[in-house]
Amino acid sequence: MRNLLNFLAKYNNLIIFLILEGIAFYLLASANEYHNTAMVKGVKGISNKMEEKITNTRSYFRLSEINQALTSENTRLKNAVELLTPKENQVFFSISDSVYRQQFIYTSAKIIDNSVNRQKNFFTLNKGTNQGVSVNMAVTSGEGVAGVIVGCSDNFSIAMSLLNIDFRLSSRIRSNGYYGSLSWDGRSNTHAILSEIPQHVPVSTGDTIETTGFSSVFPEGIMVGTVSGVEKPGGDFYIIEVALKTDFRKLYYVEVIGDLMKSEQSQLENSFQ
Amino acid sequence: MINSILRFSLIFVLLILLQVLLFNNIEFSGYINPYVYIMFILLLPFEIPAWLLLVISFFTGLIIDFFCGSPGMHTSASVLAGFVRPYILRLISPRDGYEPGSDPSMLIYGFSWFLIYTVLIVVIHHFVLFYLEVFRFADFFRTLLRVLLSSFFSVSFILLLEYARRGK
Repeated sequence: MRNLLNFLAKYNNLIIFLILEGIAFYLLASANEYHNTAMVKGVKGISNKMEEKITNTRSYFRLSEINQALTSENTRLKNAVELLTPKENQVFFSISDSVYRQQFIYTSAKIIDNSVNRQKNFFTLNKGTNQGVSVNMAVTSGEGVAGVIVGCSDNFSIAMSLLNIDFRLSSRIRSNGYYGSLSWDGRSNTHAILSEIPQHVPVSTGDTIETTGFSSVFPEGIMVGTVSGVEKPGGDFYIIEVALKTDFRKLYYVEVIGDLMKSEQSQLENSFQ
Repeated sequence: MINSILRFSLIFVLLILLQVLLFNNIEFSGYINPYVYIMFILLLPFEIPAWLLLVISFFTGLIIDFFCGSPGMHTSASVLAGFVRPYILRLISPRDGYEPGSDPSMLIYGFSWFLIYTVLIVVIHHFVLFYLEVFRFADFFRTLLRVLLSSFFSVSFILLLEYARRGK
């Protein structure tokens, strides 16, 4: 007993160190999943209020840029509406058509916290489960892919940014349809890497890269970026550098896209696996 | 005693605010992320008991983690920094030891002493922090480059802040 007490007295700082380090690693390990809603609810709740204020101030200085982006978005949407509006000579068009399958729902959200300079970047949105946002929904900027929702609280949600070394996206070359896996290599916040495209496929700089819709997170055909460099390493596949369409350094308003048929699709797919 | 608690609380709040509001928002490139809050652990008095130093380091890291949304990362790096501080102080102690009742400051122990002290602790802290962030040994040397570049900028900012403190 005396030996034990002596031991404790001698190494008490080491023991405190190990205990505190243990708590830290426990936090680190339990947060690896990031679906940890307790953390999202409790911890982020405190700092969200503050970050919301900071972002409000900062976005004020970029109002003209945001306006410009919204105007171009509006033009695009007006064109889309024009295409869909029934013309007078079309007699057979019913808006309550039950055969018309709406697969995706869109909602807009504001980013209240964002980072681009870490290896695992996440951003926080000002909408949560109360506003219909749920985990695994896609997030896009007006221009292209931005991220995936990984955690929700009542009024906030956290999305894994495309600029995260754990992010994977099934995407393809628009001109020829060959698809591969897009990931971020942690280097530049304007570029990502598309891999698994075989070397016999013609690829040239400027080719458009878009989503495939295979993952049932992102709808098909959302722009990711354009090819900015092609490298032929030893092996069968290219390393394609993609200049991202979304500028993550000035990301303020995003669209959250939910797939209404995801559960049906995954249920069907699971029954065959 | 009360006076110094007040003084360190003020330094603490200032450093946390500086880190959260300014340095966390530097988007220079993915390679440079200065973390100057570690300066608080550097500035604590020599006579502080080791257990208290560890506990303070723990909560410093925890608060930064709250704001970065990265539970555990800064906490573990800070606790390690707090743990090695007494050993480093012993390692680089001046020939006639530290003056009783004094704080580790550039004014008393000179520029080169403070530089070595800062560089050692900042590099250890950043090394743990950045490798915990990527949590893999792929791209080992790129992460090492991030550690060194970020350490360089953290140390520069800490020295600047120390100069500013000295001016008062």
